[in-house]
Amino acid sequence: MSGRMAPGTAASSSTRANLSHRRRFLASLAGVGSLALLPGKLQADGQEVRFGLTPVFLSSDLELLTRLKAYLTASVGRPVELVMRRTYQEITALLLSGYLDAAWICGYPFIQYQDRLSLVAVPIWRGQPLYQSYLIVDRERPIDDVSDMRGDIHAFSDPDSNSGYLVTQALLTAAGEVPSTYFRKTFFTYSHRDVVRAVASGLAASGSVDGYVWEVMSEIEPELTSMTRIVRKSEWLGFPPIACAKALRGKPTTERIAQALLTMGDDPAGRQVLDILRLDGFTPGDDGLFRGIAQKYDQVRRLG
Amino acid sequence: MKRSLRQISAWPVAVKVPLVVAVLMVAVSAVLSNQILVRLSQTQQRHLEQLASAYLDGLSSSLVPYVLRDGIWEIFDQLDRSRERYAGLSAVYTIVAGQDGKILAASDPHEFPSQEAVPQALIERFVTAGDLALAEDEGRAFVRRPLSYQDRPIGAIYAEIDIHALLAERRQVLLTLIVTNGALTLIFAGFGYLAVRRMVRPIDILAEHLERGRGGRIEPVPRGQIGPKNSEFGRLFRRYNALVRALSERETLAARLAEEERMGSLGRLASGMAHEINNPLGGMFNAIDTMERHNDDPMVRHSSLQILKRGLVGIRDVVRATLVTYKASGESTRLRAQDLDDLRALIQPDVGRRRLALAWRNELPDVVAPAAGPVRQAVLNLLLNACAASPVGGQVCLVAAVRDGALVIEIADQGPGIPQEVASIMNATEVDPPPPTCGTGLGAWMVNRLVRQIGGAVHATPLPAGGTLVRIAVSVEPNKGLRHVA
Repeated sequence: MSGRMAPGTAASSSTRANLSHRRRFLASLAGVGSLALLPGKLQADGQEVRFGLTPVFLSSDLELLTRLKAYLTASVGRPVELVMRRTYQEITALLLSGYLDAAWICGYPFIQYQDRLSLVAVPIWRGQPLYQSYLIVDRERPIDDVSDMRGDIHAFSDPDSNSGYLVTQALLTAAGEVPSTYFRKTFFTYSHRDVVRAVASGLAASGSVDGYVWEVMSEIEPELTSMTRIVRKSEWLGFPPIACAKALRGKPTTERIAQALLTMGDDPAGRQVLDILRLDGFTPGDDGLFRGIAQKYDQVRRLG
Repeated sequence: MKRSLRQISAWPVAVKVPLVVAVLMVAVSAVLSNQILVRLSQTQQRHLEQLASAYLDGLSSSLVPYVLRDGIWEIFDQLDRSRERYAGLSAVYTIVAGQDGKILAASDPHEFPSQEAVPQALIERFVTAGDLALAEDEGRAFVRRPLSYQDRPIGAIYAEIDIHALLAERRQVLLTLIVTNGALTLIFAGFGYLAVRRMVRPIDILAEHLERGRGGRIEPVPRGQIGPKNSEFGRLFRRYNALVRALSERETLAARLAEEERMGSLGRLASGMAHEINNPLGGMFNAIDTMERHNDDPMVRHSSLQILKRGLVGIRDVVRATLVTYKASGESTRLRAQDLDDLRALIQPDVGRRRLALAWRNELPDVVAPAAGPVRQAVLNLLLNACAASPVGGQVCLVAAVRDGALVIEIADQGPGIPQEVASIMNATEVDPPPPTCGTGLGAWMVNRLVRQIGGAVHATPLPAGGTLVRIAVSVEPNKGLRHVA
């Protein structure tokens, strides 16, 4: 299980060919925030369900993707296409545009576009729909606090990631700092696993990473996580949810997707998927789960 | 050095030729090995350059976009993944630097942290070496590839490559060459030795026969060892055998001539002896007649007996000298002073007949080393010739002494002088001079042969006042040549 996202590997070539110009258009629209004009128009014609995945998801291996696709296809009762992109922004733009029926996104974009997105389901990890953000450093590095990270080369996962960017940004903002000056150099890996790689290799002195990803990696790639050490864990925050465009809320397809996710633990094929993901299941959740993220977002907007 | 060369030149051909072959093979294999290693080294360097070039080409094309936008992670990710793609290159580390000389990312960030300057020691390696610097003693190669975008430099890639495997391969090739060439050289040298031994075997046979011939037993090569008629050694052996036959015939002829000369000398001696015996015989018969007629007279009887006794003593001396001279001629008894004095009795008839004055100075010690027979025969021959050559009433001299470790006997006469052609026969120095083909000089050849037979030398010189001086010199020290005592 590599834990690295493989952008576009599951998309069919025909679909890519037909929609390539639309993607470019949508990507440009996402940058100016005018996606609200388009829901439904670009949605699938009802024949195929498109489910988006972001790098927060441990898109580890073909087995997981195959099993997830098979389970969703069987549960939804329609062919399911798994759509993957390198960045959160790309998936969010596709979701907002209505191109995707649903997507597993991060809590940060969910809060950013809360007025245009609806919750479909929230994963349950270790008994609750919550997770943490970790600040990690090299195993041998003798520091205990984020204040010792000043002047580091710091690795973030994605500028739209809660655990991989927003939490650290909010922490520094609260202290009157900004990442660009607090750290000597920052860069984005666009994958939580690659944040761990960057810190373990010494490329980055410290990194902001999804706690769920780090914990799962410590089970399946202990040689990598063992080279890092957790300096700080954030408070518990809402787990990256599965969301849909608000316009699609209550639609049969959306409901079928939600039902498939919520009953995943009851199905042997779904149980296998959950086992691979180290998740307990899914819950309908509510927007209140993401209040902590919303507060950080407000804090950054206010003070940043 | 010269001595060593002389010793080497004395080695058998069967050893020298394989040795030369082995030395040549070692030289050839050394040259070939060197050529192979040079070519291998060039091939390896070319291979390394191509591999490094492919590695850097692949990296540079994918890295340029990330270098342009300072994409630290993407650069590192590319470097990290390239390790598997270029596993055959054994890159120890790879560094990507920006135009400001600072490291953007390296394959080993612990060793080369981002944002630090590229180590000066690494940059200096390329000052004189271009973009590929070899450090064979370290087992490393260093490569550099400038990065540019739209013809503008934007940074560079540096890589250190482990070339121990290439060097080990070169050492392995060298070892294989040494072992293979060494084994082949030994095998070929062994075959060469056996082949040359076989080829020069006829030379050994010839050398063996010549060595035997030096000891006086010259023999032809047996028919079974001669080989085919048209072969080189077959022809050589046939010529050698023809030579042996010719020498044998000449030896036989020489022996016959020597015998004839000896018999001639003996005839002359016998004639003189007869004369010497005949002279007292007349007086002795007269004494016997006188005794028969005046047997009662004690005085007459006494004087007659005295005459008989003197006559018989003279006859006994002549007979004894003759017996001594010829009886032991083939034996190698050592020469005594008396042996020379005995010769006076043998030449006395000639001396008396020609009324010669005989100057005789024998200063030899009682016994000297040289064999008595050949010396006595040679001296007798020379004395008889001297008597014959000297005019009536002339003088013949003999001086014998030991000087500087050599027996020296000089015989001089007052004759007309030895003819030039006879002197050259007498003075011949070759090992086995042929007998004279014309009538004269047989005696001189005989004397030369007798003296040289015992390792001596003889030399005849015309005297300024007329006459001839013949000088015989023989070493008195066994197994030593005249050169050491002259």
